[in-house]
Amino acid sequence: MIIRIKPGANGLAEDKDEARELRLSAVLPALEKGDKVVLDFSEVGFATQSFVHALIGEALQRHKIGVLDLLEFRSCSSTVRSVIELVVDYSLGGFAAEQAS
Amino acid sequence: MPRLVIPNSVALHNIRAFVANNRPFTTQGSKAALEFNPRWVHMEPVALAMVAAWGAWARRQGFQLVAENLGRKTAYAGRMRLFQLLGVDFDPGLMEREEAGRFVPLTQVTRSAEVSGVIADISALLHLHQDPETLSAVQYCVSELLRNVLEHAGSPEGAFVCAHRYTERGPHRVTIAVADCGRGIAAHLGRVHAEAARNDSAALSLAMKPGVTGAPPGVYGTPDNAGAGLFITRSIAKGSGGYFFLLSGRAGYRLRRGLTDDAMTELFLDPLAEPRHDLYEFEHGWQGTVVSVEIRTEKIADYDGFFRWIFERVPRRETMRDRIRFT
Repeated sequence: MIIRIKPGANGLAEDKDEARELRLSAVLPALEKGDKVVLDFSEVGFATQSFVHALIGEALQRHKIGVLDLLEFRSCSSTVRSVIELVVDYSLGGFAAEQAS
Repeated sequence: MPRLVIPNSVALHNIRAFVANNRPFTTQGSKAALEFNPRWVHMEPVALAMVAAWGAWARRQGFQLVAENLGRKTAYAGRMRLFQLLGVDFDPGLMEREEAGRFVPLTQVTRSAEVSGVIADISALLHLHQDPETLSAVQYCVSELLRNVLEHAGSPEGAFVCAHRYTERGPHRVTIAVADCGRGIAAHLGRVHAEAARNDSAALSLAMKPGVTGAPPGVYGTPDNAGAGLFITRSIAKGSGGYFFLLSGRAGYRLRRGLTDDAMTELFLDPLAEPRHDLYEFEHGWQGTVVSVEIRTEKIADYDGFFRWIFERVPRRETMRDRIRFT
């Protein structure tokens, strides 16, 4: 299944309601069946952490690391890529307690 | 009688005195008074958003709102739509420009569907077409802060937001403010974090750490929330060397402007570990939550990917980077 992410103004994906809708209607049902899910960010310049969390956080917490074999992130900008890495990391392992930098 | 007194200047650098010298949430009387300094009024977005939220609170309580000392000196507040939102008649007479620059006028947001509209207007209103990193930073903060209010504050009037881009006198910056008169952070987090329920300062400190939500401790957020929004918003301000201010209940937290480029690039998970922070305790404080973020536009340009820089510095216990399939 290919899901094309539609951003809002200036290529920003921030609408958590839309992310939640995609999660509940498409992402989770496909993963429950063991289907592969392609999240296509080709139209997105930038996404908030809250948007990406609402899109994939529950799938990661529910199915753990194995779900990464079913998820593909397509045409991500470097910023979108760094948001996805952050959400995947804390969803599976949590935030660390030490100083940030 | 509830009274909110606006001195001759309310900005992030003197916000403590403004909060400490007011007691706007008393419930005696039939009128609520908004009193401007009779000689001069300078209000930054933080003050405008607070006054708009307070006016909505006053109407909810059944008070008749009266404004004192209106005139040409309050024309800027008028252009920011303050009196329109308050339902106060205002004729500024001859218009005077107090500040150059561009602004997002005060806007009330009560539904999540309205957030996207506010964000869509930011680029044109602040003239940020040529500065995509600053535009992204402003849009990011507005989205996170408005959605926080709508999801957590329990505010019948929703949130009040405004922003101003300062382009003449330095430092060049965009200042954003969001205010509500909802339940406040302690009441929200206190449902699952006992220390937050007991102490407003503890609640603020928790709210600014990543991974703290109204979800039970030990769980990394809910399907819709990770509790990282205020941490990232604080990091946006810090990384650009700007102010960050959070007020809720009887506690206030302020991160002052960075003094050096090296200091700006050091992010701290614990807001109280920030060397240039102030933690205020007020006798009366604010019934609800106020956040203001200052983004220094000339500093963002120094980064090679400002947001990537922030996201990559959020510490995680382990990284799954090699397992994620990017194509």
